Amino acid sequence: MEKDKREEELRRISIELRLLEQTAEALQSRIDMINAVMTDLTYANMSLEGLEKEKENSELLVPIGGNSFIKAKLDNSDKLIVGMGASVSVEKTLQEAKEIVKKRLENTEKTRLSLQQQLSQVAEKMSAGRERFESLVAELRKEQSSKDV
Amino acid sequence: MTEEMSKLPPQVQERLLRYQQLQQTLQTVLAQKQQVELELMEVEQALSEMQKTADDTTIYKSIGTLLVKTEKAKVTTDLNERKELLNTRATVLGKQEERLRTQMKDLQTKLQQDLNPVSPS
Repeated sequence: MEKDKREEELRRISIELRLLEQTAEALQSRIDMINAVMTDLTYANMSLEGLEKEKENSELLVPIGGNSFIKAKLDNSDKLIVGMGASVSVEKTLQEAKEIVKKRLENTEKTRLSLQQQLSQVAEKMSAGRERFESLVAELRKEQSSKDV
Repeated sequence: MTEEMSKLPPQVQERLLRYQQLQQTLQTVLAQKQQVELELMEVEQALSEMQKTADDTTIYKSIGTLLVKTEKAKVTTDLNERKELLNTRATVLGKQEERLRTQMKDLQTKLQQDLNPVSPS
């Protein structure tokens, strides 16, 4: 291959690698976000399952942030409020709430899997690009050193 | 301005700067459009949830960190108004995007001519 063509390919690969790196970073940050959502949903699921076993008037400690709690008594464990998005929350039974959380967990897991697949595809492309980049640099260096001799 | 750019004729430099400005504006418009589309999706999901909910179900609306009791009919009206507003904003942003893309395409053609002038045969 001619030197000019190799240099052009080198430039092209370098731009492609930069774009792929940006894509990988964006995907990773979305995966981190999804992981945080999954942790939140898992806690909600655990709370709902725990609540199911509690009787009316049970004593509870409700977190208010900053690792602080207020004392409360369980009024009705079968009436829960679930957020639907767009600032709207609806009263649901414990069973309905559990179903909603379960479905959300399933959907989030699907999104995470799809993002992870995309990330591995990008990583594969990056690795192939880097390999080609290094081989082109080696070829160009070899050519330069043979000229210098 | 980079050193390479300063070697170009002033008219081309100007066009390149304009192109970069358009690109930045397009990025901003696209980010806004994505945000509006996400909000729209959320509103539509909430509306579809409202349809499945019985009229006497207790509904709450969040105001800051508080949840305030409200009625299904009121929430549905609010959500429909929000949907309409978001749809209008999405249309406006879509038109803005289209206009920016056309301007960028025209400028790109001119820049290509500036940077790779056709050699006389």
